[in-house]
Amino acid sequence: MPTKEERELDDRLVQELKDGKLEAFDEIAQNYQRKIYALAFNLTRNQMDAQDVAQEVLLSIFKKIHTFQGKSAFSSWVYRITLNASYMKLRTKKKDQFVSLDDMLPSFNNSGFQQEKLLDWSDSTDSLLFSNESKEVIEKAVSQLPEKEKVVFLLRDVEGLSTERVGEILELSIPAVKSRLHRARLFLRKKLSNYFEEFDTRGAKK
Amino acid sequence: MICCRECLELLNDYVDGTLDEKIKESLEDHFNDCPPCISFLNTYKSTSKVCKETLSAEEIPEIVQVKLREFVQDTLKNAKEG
Repeated sequence: MPTKEERELDDRLVQELKDGKLEAFDEIAQNYQRKIYALAFNLTRNQMDAQDVAQEVLLSIFKKIHTFQGKSAFSSWVYRITLNASYMKLRTKKKDQFVSLDDMLPSFNNSGFQQEKLLDWSDSTDSLLFSNESKEVIEKAVSQLPEKEKVVFLLRDVEGLSTERVGEILELSIPAVKSRLHRARLFLRKKLSNYFEEFDTRGAKK
Repeated sequence: MICCRECLELLNDYVDGTLDEKIKESLEDHFNDCPPCISFLNTYKSTSKVCKETLSAEEIPEIVQVKLREFVQDTLKNAKEG
């Protein structure tokens, strides 16, 4: 969430750039390049692509600042341009798949109650988190998310934006953001369960 | 009492703290009696946490920072000359 100060700074720099004070662009680039790069990288998983996207986004900010009307936050506008540029990079990639909720949930009986034991691996994540193996597993799981769910997950859970902001950026209703986020979390939970459960079992056998 | 299926449908709002107080209470009643749903809740929360910690650690590589810096300077230079 941008703080009041960040919004005021954005507003000032945007106005300066619109007024032709070109140095403001330098400052905007400094403030935003990490956010732009990180989101582009998490979508494309490729350093060169993310760098290209970052350049395109910076250039768009510079050239199209007069088209920014201030109806949404400046950062929302920047996120939107970043997403569009990232999707242009990805457009040749595979067709989108659909996440079936049933595959992501445990099995229920007819009354809707769970029937099997469920392993709680949440405690074992701390010790594993910084191993390269678990980092790879997590990155792979996120990269397997369908695009619609992935972008919501990256903005909401990774970037930490509010549900409302994500809706503004993606032009989605609040319920739509929530439902995609829930699907994404269920999908990832399932993928990570496969890994962490195996790890827990491995540990227990020793 | 709400069933597990309903319980898991509400997790999103529960974790984000946007559930109606009454529904929240019945959900917590369910958790008290249902270890599998507690496990599911814990791992659901952990999922967001570990993904955030892994992915948001992404920094711009030095070389990319240098390139972007050059790009900004070139853009400004071109604009001033043009």
